Amino acid sequence: MDTIIQCENITHYYGQKMIYEHLNFEVARGKILGLLGKNGTGKTTIINILTGYLKPRAGICRIFGEAMERLSPAAKSRIGLLLEGHVQHAYFNIEQIEKFYSRFFPQWKREAYYELLKKLQVTPVQKISTMSCGQRSQVALGLLFAQDPDLLILDDFSMGLDPGYRRLFVEYLKEYITAENKTVFLTSHIIQDMELLIDDCIILDFGRILLHEPTSYILERFRRFRFDSDAPAFPANDILRNTERIGTHWETYSFASAAEVERELVKNGATVSRLSEDKLSLEDAFIGLTGKY
Amino acid sequence: MYTSLFYKEWIKARKLLLLLLVVFAAAVAYTLLTTIKQFHANPVAFWEFIVENNSIRTGYMRYLPLGAGILLAIVQLTPEMHNRRLKLTLHLPLDESKILCSMSGFGLALLSGLFILSGTALLLGLRIYFCPEIVYSDFIASLPWWMGGFTAYLLTVWICLEPVWKQRIFNAIPALCCISLFYTKALPGAYVPLLPWLTVLMTAGFFFPFYSAIRFKHGVQ
Repeated sequence: MDTIIQCENITHYYGQKMIYEHLNFEVARGKILGLLGKNGTGKTTIINILTGYLKPRAGICRIFGEAMERLSPAAKSRIGLLLEGHVQHAYFNIEQIEKFYSRFFPQWKREAYYELLKKLQVTPVQKISTMSCGQRSQVALGLLFAQDPDLLILDDFSMGLDPGYRRLFVEYLKEYITAENKTVFLTSHIIQDMELLIDDCIILDFGRILLHEPTSYILERFRRFRFDSDAPAFPANDILRNTERIGTHWETYSFASAAEVERELVKNGATVSRLSEDKLSLEDAFIGLTGKY
Repeated sequence: MYTSLFYKEWIKARKLLLLLLVVFAAAVAYTLLTTIKQFHANPVAFWEFIVENNSIRTGYMRYLPLGAGILLAIVQLTPEMHNRRLKLTLHLPLDESKILCSMSGFGLALLSGLFILSGTALLLGLRIYFCPEIVYSDFIASLPWWMGGFTAYLLTVWICLEPVWKQRIFNAIPALCCISLFYTKALPGAYVPLLPWLTVLMTAGFFFPFYSAIRFKHGVQ
C-alpha cells in the first residue's frame, strides 16, 4: 500500500509549551483521514507542518516521499490546500481567480469549477471579498475540484459555514473524493461532518495521539456504559475511560465488551447494578475518549 | 505561470498605479509650470540661482518616488499577509524563490516604468528651456530620490513579509535609517561620489525580503 503522508517523531513546542512529542502517523493512498482534537491540541499546527509552513523542533513529515520543507513544484501541484476559513485571494473576482490558477495546473478542469459555482447566486465578476463565507467555501472547493489534486489537505473546512453550506460542502466533497479515489487529510471542529467523510480517525490529546483507528472500528466497538454504584470512584485505565458520576448514576466509555467492563468495575469490590450499553456517534465517542473538559 | 503571477500582482496594484500616474503627471506638470513661471518672472535672478547652485529646483518631486515605493509594496503585500494568504501563493507549483522574485520584480518593473516615464517627461520639458549640461546636472542631483523609491519599495516588502509584528518594528528602524541616506539635504551634486554606494544599498535591498519569507516558512511567531 502506498504511503502518501508520513510523519516521523514530530516534536514541537510553542515557547515552553509542548504541543507534541514523538508524533508518528501515516496516511495511505485513497484514505480519508480526519484529525480530531480539542482546541489547542495542535490540529492546525500539524497542517502547517505538513504543508511546510512551520518547522517542527524535531522530526520530519514527508508527502509523496518528499520532505515537507522542500516540496518540489511537481509535488505541490498534486496537493490541494484549503486554509482555515476558506481563505482565498479575495481581491480577485470569480473569473479572475479561475484564470489565475488555471495556468499553474496542466490538468486544470475549468468546467468542474464553473459547474459548482452555477448554483451560487453570484455574478462572474463578483469579487471574492464581497462574498459570504459559505459562497467563498464553494469557490475554494470549486478551485480544488478544478485542480484535481491527488491529495487534499483541508484545515477546519466547517469553520464559518452555516448548516446548509456545511452539508453542501460535505456532500460535494464526499462525492468527489469517492469517485476519484483521492487521499484526504482534514480537520474540522464539527465532528458530525467528519463522520460522513472519514475512513480513519486520529484523535489528538494534549501532546500525543490518543487514538488512530478506522472510523468504523470506533463506531462499532466504542461504547458508553451507564450503571449505578455506591463506589466513590473508579480508577482510570485502558478499559475504563473517563468514568464519572452524572447525577445519580455513573458513566464510563470503553472499547471492551459489557462483560469485561463489568468485571473491571467490580474488581475493586464495588457493587454495580443496571449496567446498560449505548452505541455512539463519532462526536460522542470523541467526548468519551477526550473527556468534556 | 509567470504571466499568471504578474496578473495577480497587476490586479492588486492597478488602481494604485493609476493614482500614481495621475500624481506623478501632476507633479511633473507643476514642476515645469513653476520653473517656467520663475524663468519668465525674473530671468536674471533665476539664472543667478542656477549658476550658483548648479540646479533648477525640481525638488517638488523629491519624496514622490519614496511614497510610490512604500505604497506599492503595501498594496502588493498586505493582501498576501492578511489571513496568511502568502501560504496559498507559496503553495503554487513553482519554486518559492522564483515566486518571490516575480512579485518583487513586478513591483520594481512598475516603479521603473513610472519613474522613467515621469523622469523623461520632466527632463524633456526642462530641455526646452535649458541646455543639456544643466538638465543632466539636475538629473544626477535627483537620482538618489529615484533610487530611494526603489530601496523604500524593497525594504517595505521586507517589513510586510515579516510574520511577527514586533520584528516588523525592529526592521522598520534600520529601513528608515537606510532610506534617509537617499534624502539627506546637500548641495546639488554632492551625492555623486556616493552614488555607487547607494546603488549597492539598493541592490542589497532585493535580498532582504527572502529573509522574512524564510521566517514565514518556518512559522516564526
